[in-house]
Amino acid sequence: MAERVISCSAAIAEALAEEMERDERVFILGEDLVAHGGIFGQFRGLPERFPGRVIDTPISETCIVGAGLGAALTGMRPLIDMHFADFVTCAMDEIVNQAAKIRYMFGGQTKVPLVIWAPDGAGLSAAAHHSQSLESWFTHAPGLKVVVPSEPADVKGLLKAAIRDDDPVVFFQHKKLFAREGPVPEGEYLIPLGQGAIKRQGRDVTLLAYGSGFFWAMEAADELCRTGIEAEVIDLRTLKPLDFDTIARSVKKTNRAVVIHEACLSGGFGAEVVARINTELFDYLDAPPLRVAAKDVPMPFSPPLERFVLPHVGDVVEAARKVTYR
Amino acid sequence: MGLLIDEALCLRMYELMLTIRAFEEKAIELFEHNLIRGNIHPCIGQEAVSVGSCSALRQDDYMVNTHRGHGNCIAKGADLRRMMAELLGKSTGYCKGKGGSMHIADFEGGNLGANGIVGAGLPIAVGAGMSIQNRGTDQVVACFFGDGATNQGTFHESLNLAALWKLPVIFICENNLYALSTPLREAVSVSRIADRALAYGIPGVSVDGMDVLAVYEEARKAVERARAGKGPTLLDCITYRFFGHFTGDPGRGATYRSKQEMEKWLERCPIKGFRNRLFEEKVLNDETEERISNRVKNVIEEAVRFGRESPFPSPNEAVEDLFF
Amino acid sequence: MATTVIMPKLGLTMTEGTIERWLKEEGDRVEKGEPLLEILTEKINFQYESPASGILRKILHREGEVVPVAAPIAIIAEEGEILPEIETLKPEGVVEMKTPVPPATPAKGEEIPRRIFVSPIARKMAREKGIDLGSLHGSGPGGRIIKADVLAALERAALEERKPTVAAPTAPSKRIPLKGIRKVIAARMTESFRDIPHFYLSREVRMSALQAVREKLREEAEKRSKVRLTMTDLLVKAVASVLRQHPLMNSRIEGAEICLLEEINVGVAIALEEGLIVPVIRHADRKSVVEIASSLRDLTERAREGKLSLDDVGGGTFTLSNMGMLGIDKFSAIINPPECSILGVGRTVEKPVVEAGEIQIRPMAWFTLSADHRIVDGAGAALFLNDVVRTIENPEFLLL
Repeated sequence: MAERVISCSAAIAEALAEEMERDERVFILGEDLVAHGGIFGQFRGLPERFPGRVIDTPISETCIVGAGLGAALTGMRPLIDMHFADFVTCAMDEIVNQAAKIRYMFGGQTKVPLVIWAPDGAGLSAAAHHSQSLESWFTHAPGLKVVVPSEPADVKGLLKAAIRDDDPVVFFQHKKLFAREGPVPEGEYLIPLGQGAIKRQGRDVTLLAYGSGFFWAMEAADELCRTGIEAEVIDLRTLKPLDFDTIARSVKKTNRAVVIHEACLSGGFGAEVVARINTELFDYLDAPPLRVAAKDVPMPFSPPLERFVLPHVGDVVEAARKVTYR
Repeated sequence: MGLLIDEALCLRMYELMLTIRAFEEKAIELFEHNLIRGNIHPCIGQEAVSVGSCSALRQDDYMVNTHRGHGNCIAKGADLRRMMAELLGKSTGYCKGKGGSMHIADFEGGNLGANGIVGAGLPIAVGAGMSIQNRGTDQVVACFFGDGATNQGTFHESLNLAALWKLPVIFICENNLYALSTPLREAVSVSRIADRALAYGIPGVSVDGMDVLAVYEEARKAVERARAGKGPTLLDCITYRFFGHFTGDPGRGATYRSKQEMEKWLERCPIKGFRNRLFEEKVLNDETEERISNRVKNVIEEAVRFGRESPFPSPNEAVEDLFF
Repeated sequence: MATTVIMPKLGLTMTEGTIERWLKEEGDRVEKGEPLLEILTEKINFQYESPASGILRKILHREGEVVPVAAPIAIIAEEGEILPEIETLKPEGVVEMKTPVPPATPAKGEEIPRRIFVSPIARKMAREKGIDLGSLHGSGPGGRIIKADVLAALERAALEERKPTVAAPTAPSKRIPLKGIRKVIAARMTESFRDIPHFYLSREVRMSALQAVREKLREEAEKRSKVRLTMTDLLVKAVASVLRQHPLMNSRIEGAEICLLEEINVGVAIALEEGLIVPVIRHADRKSVVEIASSLRDLTERAREGKLSLDDVGGGTFTLSNMGMLGIDKFSAIINPPECSILGVGRTVEKPVVEAGEIQIRPMAWFTLSADHRIVDGAGAALFLNDVVRTIENPEFLLL
């Protein structure tokens, strides 16, 4: 069966349509969803197809997330669109103190089937308030699942899985990837949360990436291959819970690891991955694992500054060379 | 009907509105030529709110601004060259290219910066008010925000606190009836934003945001109250943006605004209206109008030239203005 | 006035010498010019004469000690004279040479643990395969031993294993210390074999013509110069004359250059009981066969008596080694550094050879040329060897 090629936006709309069709408890809450179909067109067609289940709200992030949470605790399965990931800051209490902790804090009396969905990422000169990658904040809140897919197929499979998950899921999608196209299976296609994917096999170095970082890793792997370094690329897909088994199998084989993400370096999720590799795979390492990430500054507006701050394919290649001593 | 304010001020306000309009149009042009990156949120149509309010302020008064804030910056006395340079991402911009259109600040001119987070400026304005009170000066804070922000928690917390402590803040709502694509009636639980002031025990006034003199009058009163230590005021300036939410808004907002509505508001252009009034009152004539137009044209051209000729920041500037 | 005796510099490249034997004891009277001690250098055992007269008051270094050139080794003074402090002794006219300081020399008996940097996987692999990390050279940053280094060691070990197994060495019945001339030979031959890429070319040579020449010349040489003529003398002459036509074979490498040498000084390997020694016949191309014979007889005798000087053994540009008299048919000699090549000659044997389709019995000998591939290639060396063979098979060419 030939796979059709569609964009991430289309994959999202498809996943949502399928889930809303399948389960009437699923609804979407957020700003500018109906008239615009979402600011990236990712909800196009849904308000018409599911009247009353795609709801426009005022600009009230705190209440939107809080209300979504309340609905999730009482039988519904909402998806909250944060508009831009940067705005999660306006609802931190709702996400971290409420949604993340309720199941545990109340002794398991309730499920929290809430999906908080947010476009993130830089590279569009959107400046400091509209360019962040904040996934590491949420991996640090026990009780939250964190998903960062990169390719359209993963977006569809993981979004469907997230909606069906009974735990709160924070789901990031890089703004630049909305238009990106890729093969997407039709129909019921689910990717379990907590499962990474080896998307390129290699024996010399393991490149661990997610989101926009995945594409840099793949490009870097092509370049490295030309100089005889075979990189294995793993798309992490879910950060929490992390598929460490897949990482371990790979690093045991290659003895070298590089973690790549667009979020800034210090305290980024790469630090967690490297810490675990050092602790659990120490004896298999031929070199210290490295991280490739953005510089630790708020995202500047001016294009040359933004370019300088963000990591590039060349940085990944250089890191891979360092750990392979070539 | 005579003007209640002097001619010189009127002409200044007229020129300022023209300048804002010309600046925004030029910015849109540069954006379409891919010279301005990211996005801009033009305030075309809302010039009267900016100029009317800021004309009631002193240079040492503070201002807190929004992503749609070019007009407020200009009305507060910003250097257009540095503004244009900032939009172009050059190192000579107000923020050395690091902020861009949505984040212009001019601390020397009392502009405490524009925010990309809706409603985030209000608590900051409250803080500035606290500082004024603490220092015992008679400065005031003009806090700009849109109708959408009145549904943010920060709006309510800020009004409550400013009222409680009688802070010298003028809360100016640039009510253009839409929060991106969401119309007022679908977002606000009351029919008039001005009525929200009641909940906090402060005066709330609805103003025709297309009439610069009306805005100026109310702003002046609010500023006087604040300077006299009588606390905050909520000004609900009803206006309209003639452009879309941002430069990427299809049909200039046609997906959520009807053509009739847009046309109706276009006829109420604040610049056109004020010009006609000034002509009526014989404050303006063809000659002065042309002189002003040319001056505005030159100032914009100069700003563009300065911005385009300025250098981009060098990469090492990316790691400046931060501790490590 | 006290005189400090220093380790003398006896050759251009000498940096240190071994005190082989003191010929005088502390308290003995010595005269200036009298042999004072024997010093072993790279090349030979040297008798050093006392630089002053007086009493050998103090010997500073004992037999067997290796002392750097210009370092004090003894003090000669008059009876009762106050001796200078050893530390302040600085031989005059010697420029202090900065010798590279080896990493912290541990005091006797104390071991400074050397920190080895190893990547975890390398350490694990080495542990599992029983490889001593100390024997590995780390190619990672800061000398870190990495996986590639362990893999390389494993490969080397595997290659070793494939070689025919050697019976486990049993306990030795006697231990002979590597010292003196043996030590020097061991070091120089190791250096030569390790650093010089040897290749070997062999020719079986008809010796009849040369033998006939020797027969003819023997009596005359005896009569004229009272010198006994040997085949080796003729070989030296032949080789020296051919070297003049093949300057590359009479060269040596200095740094990044091949230096063609003007003098043709042929060394002849002589086996002594204590070891191999190679006295040199200088300007062998310019000497007559009788002069060569005379030199070689003299050198051989002095060698047997241990009376060779540095001049006798220095400056060689080519070496000839004749093992025929020891019954060896054919052998590949190790080049005597810094020379470019060495010719090894085996014994002459009557053998059937084919000449014009008929079998004849001729005296044949194997000549094997070892050459330095950095300086010369197979073709060049072959041309040289062929010319040597032609000259030996046609000795009249030596008249040219």
